[in-house]
Amino acid sequence: MPGILSELRVLELTHRPSGAYCAKLLADQGADTIKVEPPGWGDQARHEPPFIDEVPDPDRGTSYLAFNTNKRGITLDVEQADGRELFQRLAATADIIVESFPPGKLAELGLGYEQLSQSNPGLILVSITYFGQDGPYAGYQGDDLVAQAMGGYLYAVTGSASKPPMGTALQQMEITAARNGAVAVMAALLRREQSGKGTHIDVSTMEAAVSTPSGLIHPYTYTGRNPHRGGSDGNVMDGMHLPTLDGEVTLTTAGTGGRPMEAWAEFLEEPGLLDSRFASRAGRMEHWEELHGLVAPKLAQWTNLDLMRETMARGLVVGLVQTPQQVVESPHLEERGFFVEMDHAGAGTLQYPGSGFFIDGENAMASARSAPRLGEHNVEVLCGELGLTVRELGLLRAARVI
Amino acid sequence: MAEQGVLDGVRVLSLEQVHALPWGTGFLADLGADVIRVESPDHLQDRKAGPFPAGTAGEEWWNEAGNMVYYGARNKRSLCMVVTHLRGKEVFLKLVEKADIVTDNFRPGTMQRFGFDHDSLSAINPRIITLSSTAYGYTGPWRRAGSRARTVDAACGLSYLTGYEGGPSQRASPNYMDHSVGNNVAYALLLALYQRNRTGKGMRVDLTMLETGVSAVGPAILEAQRGITRERLGCAHWWKAPHNVYPARGDDRWIVIVVSSDAEWEALKGAMGRPQWAEEAKFATALARWRNRHELDELIGNWTSQHDDLELAQRLQGLGIAAGSAMAAEDLVHDSHLRERGYLWEFSNPQAPAVGSRVFAGRPYKDPGNPMSIEKVAGLGQDNDAILAELAGLSPAEIGELESEGVVYGAPRPDEARP
Repeated sequence: MPGILSELRVLELTHRPSGAYCAKLLADQGADTIKVEPPGWGDQARHEPPFIDEVPDPDRGTSYLAFNTNKRGITLDVEQADGRELFQRLAATADIIVESFPPGKLAELGLGYEQLSQSNPGLILVSITYFGQDGPYAGYQGDDLVAQAMGGYLYAVTGSASKPPMGTALQQMEITAARNGAVAVMAALLRREQSGKGTHIDVSTMEAAVSTPSGLIHPYTYTGRNPHRGGSDGNVMDGMHLPTLDGEVTLTTAGTGGRPMEAWAEFLEEPGLLDSRFASRAGRMEHWEELHGLVAPKLAQWTNLDLMRETMARGLVVGLVQTPQQVVESPHLEERGFFVEMDHAGAGTLQYPGSGFFIDGENAMASARSAPRLGEHNVEVLCGELGLTVRELGLLRAARVI
Repeated sequence: MAEQGVLDGVRVLSLEQVHALPWGTGFLADLGADVIRVESPDHLQDRKAGPFPAGTAGEEWWNEAGNMVYYGARNKRSLCMVVTHLRGKEVFLKLVEKADIVTDNFRPGTMQRFGFDHDSLSAINPRIITLSSTAYGYTGPWRRAGSRARTVDAACGLSYLTGYEGGPSQRASPNYMDHSVGNNVAYALLLALYQRNRTGKGMRVDLTMLETGVSAVGPAILEAQRGITRERLGCAHWWKAPHNVYPARGDDRWIVIVVSSDAEWEALKGAMGRPQWAEEAKFATALARWRNRHELDELIGNWTSQHDDLELAQRLQGLGIAAGSAMAAEDLVHDSHLRERGYLWEFSNPQAPAVGSRVFAGRPYKDPGNPMSIEKVAGLGQDNDAILAELAGLSPAEIGELESEGVVYGAPRPDEARP
């Protein structure tokens, strides 16, 4: 299937995972996405550990590889006049630009929405920053952890009540901002089909974090209580992780027809669970250590996949706490054809996650192009499309523009 | 919602419950689509889930829950109808003729049992886009498994990767996966509409929570294939130090401080009043700070614990240091930045007068071309008559019959348990 967005061109001029991931979402649906990186150094993610095969090569950073699939890559220093001029020429051909400079910086460079949209009124410019384009915090510095903190997620969601706040792994606020950005882009594209006009979209990662617990603000304004972390503390039947033979599992009381302890006592062959102390949720929380003492040894006799199969057969609901390795080897994902194999000159052949949806039975991933090497498409784009001679390209490279 | 929403004229029939799918269709409703939430009088859990004012469900509890405003029914219409009843099914299929999108979050197999699978609906309306939002999808050995957002947080690898430094794995969130899937649902549906503008043909979308989750932990998926183990670091970082959450003055108050360069470290030392310990060689370079980060974190924590987190964060940001208070909801509701940006939306639901005006989180992006706001929140079955008359072409007498036969409802059944 040619990608749904295959008629569109995206330019990515970002410095954070949120922008890279937003552009990846569009690239994975077929948009011709050109990643514009600073010459010499490139995307910061190229230099952050860990590296594939522990070779600290700028093409082997795992975050870089994961968040830049299906893009082409060029280098341009947009702070130099020639770089700016080349970027303007590319921008005139673009449908969408994703950027993450500090607010105001792009306009300072002569590349702001007002400037670029004059020659390209259909342009959709997406600015993804930690705090948005305006407001008292617009000039603040951020990162994923700062967004988790100021977005209320850190205080309320992941950690234990009796411990300091603790964050969610792998920069999920960046990803949430990116997903919101991609939704905004699609709405703007549909609008453009009606009006012919582009727009400037302002995405805030802090605000994305606030919306992420799906109920942080209004639970407070309805009840006067602050949502607080620790929902899985001491919660044997509905939150804790419990060891199995080859991993961990988390149980639920779902699918038990309102009689969770009867159902689990039968499944685990542990009549002790029928003790009246465990009959209510409050009782289970109060006596969680005793409950844990009964449940844990039983679960420890199961392998993960057997447990999943047998609970599923009885309508019980569990979650295997899978390691990334177990996810990669998941028979379920294999049968669905979720992973997409991509080859990369530096990192070799790897299985990459798909988009999360299948359209008419096909994994919605337009192609299997791995992340570009630094400046990999300089000649193709700058000479082939913008008409620079190779000699001019060399001149600009010597001047560190490219 | 703009005067003229971008999705004006797009109609969505959504057999939706719980969280992920309603969150996703909420975007379309905000953009002007006519999203009809088809609700069953037998499954009113969403309307019972609250939150309710002061934690207590009122007389008309079914219209008073905060979640219904935040995503369940906002900017949507509500048709409360038993679609498994023969007459209900007839009506539903009539509505499909006038719909663009049908979404559901039943387990695979249920829509087929109802006669609402893609092929059946497509035979009625070839332009129909159907999307099923499930935990594990329509194929594969786990397709019949039940789920919670938390169990998929586990299955996708995120829970395993999350935890305090040196500690056990811990679920990242009870509902981040719902939220993340909802965003992906909105993305997929808008893509489908965009594609249909080109081809004129409908399509079938099989969207899963597990796969959306795995797509968000991509780096760890690549690492696992080459034997790299990503250890749990809590709020610490793979290469930055200090990078953590530190205690502040007061009960359960905390501040995050992130230092990415020597210049920022110098600025932080200045803010701390250049204590002697901070001048020691073991903290002089980025590498030294990272290697000695546990000791560093403790010393910084001793300092931060004497300060108000909101004030200190503002002061550090003034020095160019990434810092932020670990805000509680109460802080956010009063936050000047969010207020000034118009992120917090105040809404008073005419369908729930007892609730009064409340503040909600808005959308985390602004697009002047597609402005969004809360215009209305559908009460249970509020739009039955309008939908049945205008879309299904039923006469008042026929609608009356459906009511008396127990097919459509304007309120919960009298014997419905109060939440």
